[in-house]
Amino acid sequence: MSAVPGSFFARGRDLRMAPAEKRRGWRQAEIPDDDHPMRQPLFIRSNTFHWAVMVAGVFAVFVIVLFGFIYWKIDDYLTARSDRVITVELDSVAGLSPERRLEAIDEKLRQDPRGVQLAAIFAADGHRITGNLDSLPLHLRIGAAAQGTDIIRTDGNSRNHQVIRAIARRMPNGDVLVLGRNVDEAGEISHVVGQALALGLLPGFCLCLLAGAWLSVRAQKRVEEVNVRVQRIIAGDLRERLPHRNVDEPFSKLAVIVNGMLDEMETMIHALAGVGNDIAHDLRTPLTRARLALERGRTNAATLEQLQAVADKAIAGIDQSLTIITALLRLAEIENSRRSAGFGDVALHEMLREVCDIYEPIAENKNIALHVQVTHRLSVRGDRDLLIEAVANLVDNAIKFTPEGGKVDIELLRGERETVVRVTDTGCGISEQERDAVLRRFYRSDKIRNTAGVGLGLNLVAAIVKLHGFRLAIFSGPGCRVEIVCPDPQGSMPSSRSLISSSTRV
Amino acid sequence: MALVSGKRTIAGMPDSGIANVFAAVGNQPMAKVLLIEDDGETAEEITAELADRGFEVEWSANGIEGLDKARSSRPDAMIVDRLLPGMDGLTVIEALRKEQVRTPVLVLSALGAVDDRVRGLRMGGDDYLTKPFAVVELVARIEALLRRPAESRETTLRVGPLELDLIERTAKRGDRVIDLLPREFRLLEYMMQRSDQLLTRAMLLEEVWNYKFVPATNLVDVHMGRLRHKVDGPDEVPMIHNVRGAGFILRAGP
Repeated sequence: MSAVPGSFFARGRDLRMAPAEKRRGWRQAEIPDDDHPMRQPLFIRSNTFHWAVMVAGVFAVFVIVLFGFIYWKIDDYLTARSDRVITVELDSVAGLSPERRLEAIDEKLRQDPRGVQLAAIFAADGHRITGNLDSLPLHLRIGAAAQGTDIIRTDGNSRNHQVIRAIARRMPNGDVLVLGRNVDEAGEISHVVGQALALGLLPGFCLCLLAGAWLSVRAQKRVEEVNVRVQRIIAGDLRERLPHRNVDEPFSKLAVIVNGMLDEMETMIHALAGVGNDIAHDLRTPLTRARLALERGRTNAATLEQLQAVADKAIAGIDQSLTIITALLRLAEIENSRRSAGFGDVALHEMLREVCDIYEPIAENKNIALHVQVTHRLSVRGDRDLLIEAVANLVDNAIKFTPEGGKVDIELLRGERETVVRVTDTGCGISEQERDAVLRRFYRSDKIRNTAGVGLGLNLVAAIVKLHGFRLAIFSGPGCRVEIVCPDPQGSMPSSRSLISSSTRV
Repeated sequence: MALVSGKRTIAGMPDSGIANVFAAVGNQPMAKVLLIEDDGETAEEITAELADRGFEVEWSANGIEGLDKARSSRPDAMIVDRLLPGMDGLTVIEALRKEQVRTPVLVLSALGAVDDRVRGLRMGGDDYLTKPFAVVELVARIEALLRRPAESRETTLRVGPLELDLIERTAKRGDRVIDLLPREFRLLEYMMQRSDQLLTRAMLLEEVWNYKFVPATNLVDVHMGRLRHKVDGPDEVPMIHNVRGAGFILRAGP
C-alpha cells in the first residue's frame, strides 16, 4: 500500500538528481517499478483507492457479523417458541385417557397439511401404536425437556429423515408419547437472511469500491493538474499558480498556501534579479575605470611616475569593487546569521557617546553641529560591534547628506515599552516615495548622486536591526529622522537605572 | 588596499614610501616566518614580499606538514590559512597552543564571517586577516605581531622629543605642552607604543576605536589629521607620516 507514495517520493528525488528527466515530469511514475511487475490502472495503485477497499472490507465484515447475529437470535427464538408449544401440547395430550390420546394425535396430524407436526405413541415394547414416526428416536431421552433429535417420518410418499425438536414422555400405562415439531422454518429464515445479505452487502461493497476509485481518480487528476503547473514553474514560468476551487476543501487550502509561497518567492526572485543587475552595474563602473586607466597608461605612460599614477588609479578602482563585494558579503552574512548566543547587554548611552566621539571631528570639518542627547542609562540585549556599526552608519549617512552649517542629533529616548535611538539631521531628507527604496540595495537618491558611497549602508543597518528583532523607522520632514526602535523583551524590565537627565554637548 | 598580486611593482621602487617602512627590520636579526597556505600562487607572492622586507620565510602547503615545521624550526611568527588540506588551520594553532608554543599567529581566511573571526582569535590566533587583503596590511600586521610591546610598568612613553605621561595624561614635545582630547591621547599612546611601525587604518580602527568594520568615511584620516596638527608644529620636524595607500607611522627622525 505504501508503495505508491513511496514511488512518488522516489520519483521526486530522481527529479532533483537528473535534470534531464525534469521536463518529462512524474508521468513516468506510472510506469511500473520493479516491485510492480503487473501494470495496474493508476487509480488502483493509489493510496485513496486502497483506503476505500479497506473501508469496504471492514464494512462487509461488520455486516456479515450483524446478519449472523440476527440469524442466530431468530433461530434461538423460534426454537424456544416451538419447544414451548410442544411442551404445552404434550401436557394436554398426556392428560387425556389412552383412547382419547390416540384420537387427539390423529386429529392433530390431520389438521397439519404442511407436515410440521410430528406425533406418535409407542407401546412399552417399542412398536408404534399410532402417529407419523417410524420408531422411537434412538437418542431421545424419555421424560426430558424438548431437544433436537433425528427421526424418520412415515407419512408422505417416502420415509424421510428429519431433524426436529421433540419431547418424549412415558404414560401411566407404559406407552411412550412423542410430540415434535419440524424447525425447518429456521432454515428458511437463514435463506432469507442470506438473500438480504447478498442484496445489501454486494451493492454496498461495489459502491465503496466505486467511490474509492472515483476519489482516487479525482485526486490523481488534481495531482496531475498540479504537476503540469509545477512543471511550468520549474521551466521558468514564475507567474504560474496552482488551481483551487473552494477554500473549504483541503486540497484547495493547500493550493492556496502554496500559491502564497509562490507569490513571496516570485517577489524575492524579482528583487534578487534586480539586485544582481545593480551589483553588476556597480561593480562594472569602477572596473571599467581601472581598465581604461591601465590601457591608456600602457600606451601613454613614459615615466615611472606616470606609470605609478596609472597603477594607483587602477588599484583605487579595484579597491572600490572589492569594497562593494565585501559590503555585500557582510550584508549576506548578517542577514543569514541566526546568532543571538553572542548577545550581551549593550549600554546604549555609552555607545552613542562613543559614536559621537568618533564622528565629532568629521562633523566639525564639515561645520556640522553634532550633539548627543542621552537622558537615561539604557541597555539592550545585542551584539555591541554590530549595533555600533548600525549607529555609526546612520551618523555617517546623516553627516554625509547634511550640507555645511547643518545639524545632526543623536538621541536616546525611552518610550512606553521601547528604547529608541534617534538620529536626526537637517539634510536633504528622504521623501515619502523613497522611503522603501532607500532600504533597497544600491539605491542612491538622485539628489545625492554625487556623494561618494556604495549605497549599502542602510541595508546593513536594516539587516543588523532585524537580526536583533528591533525596528527601523524612517521619517521625512525637514531633514531626515531615522530611528532604531528596540522593543523591550517580553517579561523583563528595561535596565533604566536612573534618570541622569544630562544633555551632553561634545 | 592593493591585492596580493598587485604589489610587486611597488616593492621594486626605491623611493616608494612603503618600501622604506619596513627598513627597520633589516637592522635586526632576520625574523623567521612560517607560512602555512595551500594556494601556491598566493604563497609565492607572500613569500616574495616578505623576503623583500627582510624576513626569512618557510612555506608549508598543508596543515600536518606545517605543524611539524612549526615544532621543528621554531619560527618567530606564523601566517596560517584558515582552510587547509590535511589539517584545519585552527586545529594547527590549537595543537601548538596546547604544547605551550606561544609563537604569534596571523590567521588568514577567505571567510569574512564575524563569528569565524572571533573563533580564529579564541583558538589562539593573535590577529585575523580576511582575503583578499592588501599585502601592505599583511606585512604591517606581521610586523606588529613580531614587535608587540612588552608589558611594561613604564608610566612615561618617549619617542624622540615626544613624551607621554600615562598617569598625568599629559603630552609634551620638547618643552611644548600638547593639549590632547582623550581620544587623541589614546591614539597617540597606541602609536608611541608602536613607533617606527606601519599602522594601517584597519589596525587603528580595530585597536584604538574597537571598530570591527571599515566605515564609509575616512574616519582614521580625519582623526590622524587632527593629531598630527597638534603633534607636529609648523616649524618642527614631522613625526607622524602618512604612507600613501597604506597607513601611518610615528618616527622620531624625518
